[in-house]
Amino acid sequence: MNTKSITTRLSYLCSAGLFAVSVGAAAAEKTEIKEHTRLMDHGDGHLMDMDGGMVMGQNKDKLPGGCGRIAEEAEITVRAGHKYAKDFPGTMYGFSEHEWRFKPCTRLTVHFINEDNVRHQWMMHGLPKYLYDKGMFHLEVTGPAKISGTLILPKEDRTYLVHCDIAQHMEKGMKGELIVGKGSGTFPTIPGVTDAAIPDNYTPGPDGKVQPAVAPPMAAAEKPGESTVKKPEQTAAAPSGSWFSGSLVLGIVLGVFGTPIALRVGRERLSGMTGGDVLAMVGGFLGHMIDITLGLISRLMHSARGKKK
Amino acid sequence: MIMIKRSLSAALGSAFLAWSAGAPAVTAIPESKKVELGEVEPFCNSGAPSEWRKAQVLEGVEIRESRLCNPDSPAEIAAFVKGTNNISMQTLMDTNLAADALILSNDMDNDGDPDHYIIKLEVMELNGHSPDFAGVVPSYDIAPGIEPAFWVFAPKTRDMSTRSFASAEANPMLRMPAPAIRVEQGDVVWLVLENTHYFPHSIHLHGVDHPYMDFSGEGNDGVGQTSAMDVMPGQSKTYVIRPRQAGTMYYHCHVQPHTHIPLGLAGMFIVEENRPNNWVQVFNVGAGQVRHPSKAVAEKYDAEYDLHYQSVDKELHKLPQSFNDPRLIARAINQEYDITDATDDYFLLNGRAFPYTLRESMVVVEPNQKVKLRVLNGHTEVISLHTHGHKAVETHYDGVEQRPEGRVRRDVYTLSPAQRLDLELETVDDGLRSFGPGLWMFHDHVERAFTTDGMGEGGSISLIAYKQYLDENGTPQTHGMSLAQYFTKKYWERKISPWQEVFDASLGDPETFVKAEAKPAAAAKPAAPAAEPGPPGNTGRNLFVGLLLGIAGYFAYLNRAKLLETASEWIAAVRNK
Repeated sequence: MNTKSITTRLSYLCSAGLFAVSVGAAAAEKTEIKEHTRLMDHGDGHLMDMDGGMVMGQNKDKLPGGCGRIAEEAEITVRAGHKYAKDFPGTMYGFSEHEWRFKPCTRLTVHFINEDNVRHQWMMHGLPKYLYDKGMFHLEVTGPAKISGTLILPKEDRTYLVHCDIAQHMEKGMKGELIVGKGSGTFPTIPGVTDAAIPDNYTPGPDGKVQPAVAPPMAAAEKPGESTVKKPEQTAAAPSGSWFSGSLVLGIVLGVFGTPIALRVGRERLSGMTGGDVLAMVGGFLGHMIDITLGLISRLMHSARGKKK
Repeated sequence: MIMIKRSLSAALGSAFLAWSAGAPAVTAIPESKKVELGEVEPFCNSGAPSEWRKAQVLEGVEIRESRLCNPDSPAEIAAFVKGTNNISMQTLMDTNLAADALILSNDMDNDGDPDHYIIKLEVMELNGHSPDFAGVVPSYDIAPGIEPAFWVFAPKTRDMSTRSFASAEANPMLRMPAPAIRVEQGDVVWLVLENTHYFPHSIHLHGVDHPYMDFSGEGNDGVGQTSAMDVMPGQSKTYVIRPRQAGTMYYHCHVQPHTHIPLGLAGMFIVEENRPNNWVQVFNVGAGQVRHPSKAVAEKYDAEYDLHYQSVDKELHKLPQSFNDPRLIARAINQEYDITDATDDYFLLNGRAFPYTLRESMVVVEPNQKVKLRVLNGHTEVISLHTHGHKAVETHYDGVEQRPEGRVRRDVYTLSPAQRLDLELETVDDGLRSFGPGLWMFHDHVERAFTTDGMGEGGSISLIAYKQYLDENGTPQTHGMSLAQYFTKKYWERKISPWQEVFDASLGDPETFVKAEAKPAAAAKPAAPAAEPGPPGNTGRNLFVGLLLGIAGYFAYLNRAKLLETASEWIAAVRNK
């Protein structure tokens, strides 16, 4: 074996490698964005290249149920990286925007530009599984680079979670929401949009040390994994759904129709006694209470109007 | 006089005692009460298909049999040997690896193996904090219910960090310890650190031949104070090496290393001797058995295992879980945590504590074999590794071969922190090298290291398991007590007496303690079940509110005249204003 030739070749390789490294470094300094356009199609809307560029759940033409046609063509460019965390103290990574709104049945093309030198993702969850594998639309690329993908948004009013699923990237700022139509509530801990469900404690403790964030009782009970998806649905349902629930209606019906019956039964049972008087008194009392409540409301309204003026 | 008084009182006292003993009224002594084990995990719940355990050839890569419950997946082994650039798309898709995770190329010396490696590592947090719910994510249990936060180097992956969107469990590539890395002696290695974490990190190649500066004039030693700037969040750095010496080495983060090493940023780095057609298994995720040993190791040994010991101070590993804001985590770890006041609580072998070690990190042997064990002490203190039933030979210290006549055979092997030791374990039944087939424990003999937070038997205990004592799924056919209690969360919460299951009631817990212990659980309840009965509670409340509204509505109807009057008064009042 010719060892000399081996060493020469090795040194060639090293210098070639060095050249590549220095070119790479120079590119990084200018943050020249590499476009990932030559992706290999693996079917089911899954596209990939060998540099780690990836699109999942691409759908350019299959209309979701209830969409007669494409309502609107939309295109967004989302930039990602540490740079976008700087406006939000307490975060480390971020997107250039954290909330997007579209009409139902919009065909949306997302251009995702990762300006960091590590992997980032623009991952959307909760889409119908018959169109999107695992209910996901997903762009992933190692920066500095750009990758684009297209999907058609479903007809239903809904808020979708968008995040980077790399460990701690969502928690540290890479979290947003995409609202279709009127949406279905909101997600916690979106930079500049919503508060954390478990807020940090910025008050030094008695010993001058940091104090752990304490979960409010409701949040404590949530199961991990479910939370990010199901929580917003619950909160979304809260203003309308849970207030006007079946049990409430049942209660009203029982109250309206049950009270006279209860009163009658009570009168019959207590007939001849002073009970009837008692009941009348109770009725009167309740009427009085209503007067008081109404008075209170009117006073409140007056004061509110007064303040506005 | 005093003496007499004393003896008198003693006599009276003993008389009284005798009398009282004879009395029929005996103070009741609490009975023993057995604590229910609760949920018991099966020994093997890895879900690994049985084909994964078989010896096989995939992508032209010879993969050894693995008789463990949780074997490394053959697709991953193939990718780690051939590189993500030299395998079929199907095999790549069967792994969680990024397409550019491991690029092997350039057979410069025409000896049939690649001589240029591009190895990409990311930094992942396991059992991290969430500002959205009171759990940890992605979760990684070292033993039932024990989830300390870790930071690890991980092969570059793609897609989700968890097994699925519905699960919080980390995907199999994200685990402790940082993967063992293997390269071939004399090859050009670009080790790329892509810092995906929220703190600065670096790679220091401890013991691995590397130039202080690389050829482009950049620092290459991974030490911020002397060599190169730390790699900041979102940035990457390539370390360029061409190691001239083979041996078992080490790599770890050198940023705030007194906390970053214990938090998990450390792994084995093995330089394999140069041989023709020598495709080494670049990553050994979770360490343990090497299913595709290098040529040089296969020449001399029947099997090879990487054994990485680590210790965990639960207070330190709680800190990344206690805050979301990186500034608060940094303050807690850098300025408030004091390692000089710290003690270790958990002891890991290849990222797990007993009994989970038995699922992954048993040394599986057959009689008359020669097995290579590469041991790294990643503890903060000395370890004294002891092999039951075997005396092995120390062949290499810190990757340097000991001359044969100077080698020591013994059964306790001492390693200081960061030291590596290569052992030659022979299963020859001669009363010296081996005492014969069996399930033989091996463990750090520093007592606290075979506990988990002081609860025994835990810590880094594992077994030298002769194959005849293992079933198809790698379950050891033990001849002692049931291991069920070790597979419960309650045991590690100290709620179960280690002897209640093995003996009669004589050594169980007195019922007073069982009751006393049940109370805190009840007190803790409001937090947990408060949410679960949430829906029924809401229903009840709604029903009650509805009932009140209904009653109010009825009386409102009765008093409608009055109400209308009030309303018109209002309207008038508003108009007047």
